[in-house]
Amino acid sequence: MESKRIRSKISRGSAELAILALLAEQPLYGFEISKRIEEKTDGVLCFTLASLYPMLYHLEKRGWIAGRWEANCAGRDRRVYSLTPAGKKELAPLRREWNFFFQALDRLAGVTIA
Amino acid sequence: MPDNHRIAPDWSALVSEHLRPLHLPAKEQQEVVAELAAHLEDLYEEQLKNGRTESEAHQKAMNEVVQWRPLARNIQRAKFKEGITNPRTKQLWLPSLVSLATAMLSLMFLTLLAVQPRLLYAHRAVTMLYLPWLAALPLCGAAGAYLSRRAGGNRLTCLASGLFPAATLLVCFAFILLDSIFGKGHAATLSAFLVFVWSWVFIPGTALLLGALPFLNARHQDTPATQPNEFPRCDVK
Repeated sequence: MESKRIRSKISRGSAELAILALLAEQPLYGFEISKRIEEKTDGVLCFTLASLYPMLYHLEKRGWIAGRWEANCAGRDRRVYSLTPAGKKELAPLRREWNFFFQALDRLAGVTIA
Repeated sequence: MPDNHRIAPDWSALVSEHLRPLHLPAKEQQEVVAELAAHLEDLYEEQLKNGRTESEAHQKAMNEVVQWRPLARNIQRAKFKEGITNPRTKQLWLPSLVSLATAMLSLMFLTLLAVQPRLLYAHRAVTMLYLPWLAALPLCGAAGAYLSRRAGGNRLTCLASGLFPAATLLVCFAFILLDSIFGKGHAATLSAFLVFVWSWVFIPGTALLLGALPFLNARHQDTPATQPNEFPRCDVK
């Protein structure tokens, strides 16, 4: 699993999309977000605390996600983030642009899995 | 030591200590500390559940942040600096300010050069037109609309940014009219107001619109941070 991790800058651009896409499914708190991303990508994308929270605060400031304190299943207060209507609106063009990007990269470098 | 007797680390104290350079309002800072501490707590407990020893779990949690100072800086930037130039400011207010400033400065420049307005008489009303200024206005409207579109503004914000100088003059004339009706200002009649609106709002507004038009039909541009060929600031392991 360790060897799959992308350490170059290319993985950074996916951060906003990864978080918005995940929150489009359901509201989650920070630790859950990092766990889900790691699980869903088989460890290819892996957020640490240091990388996740500045991004969450950045997205919140832009009005794409909103956080509120809620008790989790263990009864502990956690700041749960959900996608706002503005975030939902932003996700579709973001997905489309990434799709264009990968298609272009595929044409250029043949990166699609055979 | 059995698990039920173990003393959990004080994550709040640890985060609070390390994030000391964070300069945020007290309530916001408390929330950040509580949130980061909760993350470390969850990670620590997950590691224990997975069979790691306390020291291994503690080490794993501490590995989440290699350097606290850059983290504090990044949090502060995300929470504070972004607020100064939020999307509305970038997409509407700054481009509007640019179109207003360029329109007013060009008018001031022309009057300093003693350019005389052309007076047109029609139906006992006189229309005062600075033709060189009107010729320059499409550029001012274009500048506002272009900057708004570049910042990711939609069609309406591009239009508003381009027409902002005309809208500002309209508001000024409306205040003068209201002052003359209800206050002790100069006596102004409705017909004079309409002539001013025609000369200083409608005609300049049309010139501004001409400049803004090419940017209204262009494809919606996203904010630079989300363009796919740029890599945002987030560090992913």
